[in-house]
Amino acid sequence: MKQAIELNINGDVHEILVATHHTLLEVLRDQLGLTGTKRGCDLGACGACTVLIEGEAYLSCLMLAVDAIGKQVVTIEGLSEAGDLHPLQSAFVDQGALQCGFCTPGMILTAKAILDEEKHPTEEVIKQKMAGNLCRCTGYKKVVEAVMRVAEESGQEV
Amino acid sequence: MKKELNVVGARLPMLDAAQKAKGAALFTDDLILPGMLHGKVLRSPLPHAKILNIDTSKAEKLVGVKGIVTGEDIPDRLYGIVPMAKDEYALAKGKVRYIGDDVAAVCAIDPEIAEEALELITVDYEELPAVFDPFEAKKDGAPVIHDGIKNNTSFAIQKEFGDVKKAFAESDAVFEDTFFSQAVNHAPLEPHAALAQFDPLNGELTIWCATQIPFFLRRNLSNTLQIPESKVRVIKPKVGGGFGQKIDLFAKDFCAAWFAMHLGKPVKFLYDREEVFISTRQRHPMYITVKTGIKKDGTILAQKFKSVADGGAYNSTAPTMMALSCFFLMIPYKVPNLFYEGYHVYTNKPVGGAMRGHGIPQARFAVERQLDLMAGRLGLDPAEVRLKNSIHAGEPHSAGFVINTCGFSESVKKAADAIGWKEKRGKLPRGRGVGLAGASFPSGVSNMSHISSGAVVQVGRDGAVNVLSGAADIGQGAETVISQIVAEELGVRLDDIRITAADTGITPLDPGTFGSGVTVRAGNAAKLAAAAVKQKLFKFLADKLEANVADLVARDRKIFVKGSPEKGLTFLEALKTYQYADLPMPIVGRGSWMAPADEPTTLFKQDGNFAPNYSFMTQAAEVEVDLITGQVKLLRMVTAHDCGQPINPMLVEGQLEGSVVGGMGQALYENVIVEKGQMMNPSFLDYGFPTFLEMPKIEAIEIETDDPVGPYGAKEAGEGTQLSPAPAIVNAIYDAIGVDFMELPITPEKILDALEAKKKKE
Amino acid sequence: MRLPKFEYFEPKNIKEAGAILKNESSAKILAGGTDLLVNMKHRVECPAVIVNIKRIGELDYIRQDNGDIRIGALTPLKRLHMTALITENFAGLAEAAFAVGSYHHQVMGTLAGNICQQNRCMYFNQSKWWRSSRPTCYKAGGEICHVVNKKEICYSTYCGDMTPALLVLNAKISLTGIDGTREILIEELFSGDGKAPLSLKPDEILTEISIPPDANKGVASYIKFANRDSIDFPIVGTALWASIEKKEYRVAFTAVDRKPVRGQNVEAFLKGKKLDEKTIKAASALAAKEAKPLKTSVYSPSHKRRMMGQLLQSALNKVVRRSTQ
Repeated sequence: MKQAIELNINGDVHEILVATHHTLLEVLRDQLGLTGTKRGCDLGACGACTVLIEGEAYLSCLMLAVDAIGKQVVTIEGLSEAGDLHPLQSAFVDQGALQCGFCTPGMILTAKAILDEEKHPTEEVIKQKMAGNLCRCTGYKKVVEAVMRVAEESGQEV
Repeated sequence: MKKELNVVGARLPMLDAAQKAKGAALFTDDLILPGMLHGKVLRSPLPHAKILNIDTSKAEKLVGVKGIVTGEDIPDRLYGIVPMAKDEYALAKGKVRYIGDDVAAVCAIDPEIAEEALELITVDYEELPAVFDPFEAKKDGAPVIHDGIKNNTSFAIQKEFGDVKKAFAESDAVFEDTFFSQAVNHAPLEPHAALAQFDPLNGELTIWCATQIPFFLRRNLSNTLQIPESKVRVIKPKVGGGFGQKIDLFAKDFCAAWFAMHLGKPVKFLYDREEVFISTRQRHPMYITVKTGIKKDGTILAQKFKSVADGGAYNSTAPTMMALSCFFLMIPYKVPNLFYEGYHVYTNKPVGGAMRGHGIPQARFAVERQLDLMAGRLGLDPAEVRLKNSIHAGEPHSAGFVINTCGFSESVKKAADAIGWKEKRGKLPRGRGVGLAGASFPSGVSNMSHISSGAVVQVGRDGAVNVLSGAADIGQGAETVISQIVAEELGVRLDDIRITAADTGITPLDPGTFGSGVTVRAGNAAKLAAAAVKQKLFKFLADKLEANVADLVARDRKIFVKGSPEKGLTFLEALKTYQYADLPMPIVGRGSWMAPADEPTTLFKQDGNFAPNYSFMTQAAEVEVDLITGQVKLLRMVTAHDCGQPINPMLVEGQLEGSVVGGMGQALYENVIVEKGQMMNPSFLDYGFPTFLEMPKIEAIEIETDDPVGPYGAKEAGEGTQLSPAPAIVNAIYDAIGVDFMELPITPEKILDALEAKKKKE
Repeated sequence: MRLPKFEYFEPKNIKEAGAILKNESSAKILAGGTDLLVNMKHRVECPAVIVNIKRIGELDYIRQDNGDIRIGALTPLKRLHMTALITENFAGLAEAAFAVGSYHHQVMGTLAGNICQQNRCMYFNQSKWWRSSRPTCYKAGGEICHVVNKKEICYSTYCGDMTPALLVLNAKISLTGIDGTREILIEELFSGDGKAPLSLKPDEILTEISIPPDANKGVASYIKFANRDSIDFPIVGTALWASIEKKEYRVAFTAVDRKPVRGQNVEAFLKGKKLDEKTIKAASALAAKEAKPLKTSVYSPSHKRRMMGQLLQSALNKVVRRSTQ
């Protein structure tokens, strides 16, 4: 039997019916219409399903939806306010750091988590922490350049 | 002559980049239709078996199941992406031929119920002997995988140019070497998906599909479902990578359509990652023996190839792949005499299909490795040998290719310089080495009949330019490139262009994204369409500006007389004036383009110039081998690339960088491991393609040539660069540790084994 | 891949958790979920009951207590390599935490979760459909082990990165049941039985990991050998603890046996010796014999054995280099 729960997604509180065996990824995509979070492998090995939980990068395919109760969840949709692009999104666009765009939401959210933790990470740290986000199109070079650009430019909280 | 270009040649973000960065770009699985049902495919757990009976009764009773279909229910229509090699049914009929073969499909109100229902279907199989090695499969007495296909060899090709026997006799040395290139998986991040909807009132099927080939898919669906093409509409949403794996019709496409037609509801199928690995496509493993007759000074006189491709259970693109693998041995080096013998052999394993390079990476590995081996045996420098044999623009070609532009020699020199060839080759400390490899790729193979593209450009009074193109953008940026070409032609900005693409109900025909033909073919079609619009405007304005049509220039959103920019109008003013002259609006231009050919040619029956133009490149690699762990790190890869005039250098770089990392993956990290027909590593965890941490330093060097056939001089940039990173790396490994590897991948285990063996010898 | 259905509990404290575990033999603890949920999607673990212990507050800490370092079971792996107390004193532990999976796994995954992870085998860690190509394996509830083709035995491999790093520190763990807590050496947790790798009483939960005071009197390292530098499980992992002064060495391996392996022969050989080239070579040769890995993955046993030696060689060389600086 499903139960009614409240989830806080991108600052909005949603009341939904879920079963305990539904993952956060399934609920985001299938119930809340937030399809920006992608299903790449469903087993936690590609990072396409990355969301931010209390600002940290989580694999939503390996989280029970009920486990997100009471937490602040941010998906890619929550990053741009009123049509403006977040600096990371702009950097990805300007630097050509995306091609098919499927891995991009996960990449951007992981990058945000990294920059929120450390304002000016080195290239090595960025590569280390983003290595769980797989990409088959870009070869990663422009993604690193985009994140580095934001890391170098940002003087304040991103 | 330096071209004056404003939009073409500019580093511009993709038109849909912001949408993708916001997570707002819609891929097939993001689409939802009211009442949508969900489908799942039941797959064979056996490599080779007769289907005796399929009992779906229990599954049908599961609450929420709306329909089940098996091979029994579907029309007896074979399918194949290459019509002459049709050998598949949408769902297996009578027997299964590999672990993963499509046996039945369930449609239910949610994916969970569909998954549950699959487990309630009982299939009685009679297991048949299976064969997993192509050489075993070729033998007399081997299990017959497809009836009527002798020795499981579904396709054989034999071609000779010149006189190889004579040339061998004239050679100073003849070397024969055998190589193996392993199966790799495309592994695009987006799993395959399809969403179908049927309108019973007009009998029309609409299918949204993660496909590279909307028009071919339309044709194949029409054929297998037995409804007219005009009643099938294929719409391509955003596609999350393909690399060739989203060519072909899959069970999901057929079954989504079938259920939509029979149940009157929209139906979505989404493959999970394991299905993508096992049941879609992979790069053919190939065994290649190269025999080369060569002069003391390194000049190649003749080459003889024997190639055996392990095809897996079905053909997919077999004939095309084998032909490409053969014909594109004729570039980038002069091969005055060539004999090619190739076999595509069935085995009871996952199916080989088109993967970035399509048969040429395997051949390139063999050729480029052997060049280095021969250079070593003759005491020559590998870079010099490549230069010596390099083809040049305008030279007659032994296979009849027309090479109008060729930056190959320049690419060898530049790549060698950039990697520090003279200072490093043979001179670095043990464990470090440099190597290089060359390649060339056709910009679409025109020699395949019916490969043409259409475009429509419309300009309304508000100055917005609408482009209709059949081109399938799968992430490489085709829509942006086409839009840049149109913008350049009309003298407007990229921002002014709106493009609608890859909808068979709306857009003109385009064969799709394969063979690296999109920029040249669809780009040229769009350029023609834009030129037609411009002509109409110019003709009208010529009078007004008291000038000749030939003296008018469209640039910077203005149309003016060459040399007298003040004698002109803005683009908007021009349109307004046109409209107020009571001329019909919008201004519409149409264009169709096919590669020029003096005679009709096909890959199999008539030789000739196979492509409108050819790209050329050289990769130079620097590697570091850890002598304790055997791990090879690609430190740097330089790729010097002649793609004519890059339409968008930033997008070109993206293609080169992605190709390099993919090639590195094949060389060092990736392998489809199959045991008794079963893929042992069908997950992103176990099939380890490179992460950020494996990334090398990549330097792309542009070599600009100005091709007369390509739009604004462009040539392909999507596949060529995936041909030679692997041999460049393996050549560099030789420089680092003195070991010649003849197969891929090079794992740490193989390195350590080789080092130990070498030590024992010394 | 969907998860199977289960009954779900969020106990407020460990005792409550233990009671639920005792009641339902197939109940499983949910911590980070990066191991359990994958196995559930594969249907190799189908607990009827899931006990989510993340909401139990007091299990996430790193503190010093009378010279012991005490780490709460639910401390995220990321915390271990970002806390100065660990990075400065137990480099090997930090290196191991840094090496687990990817950054996301280190955010979600916990120390106890990594220690208690399920054993692995290429015939086990596959989807239900994949496994239907052959009879269900013994570990997954069938009769036969496909690695050795024998019945009623399991050779699945223990692949956790943290445990060898803890073994060489002589770490202890606390196991709490409904009746109380007992403390054991971490090696005693591992049964050596591939099918049931952990020696836990039905109601017991690993609540704390403690590192004794003498652990930082030596230099510890962890070297992981895997296909890629992220995401992957180890092909072989080697932990070393060395006291150049005392000429005392501790060595442990992971991914080579049904449980983590302490290199006792190597340790005995190295004891009292100076680390010169000859000694290091001999130690490496011995290390390669400390386990007999079987082919539970696509990597060959002989290569794993060789890598045990190679990694130890690297680790010892590093110790020598650092001590001469």
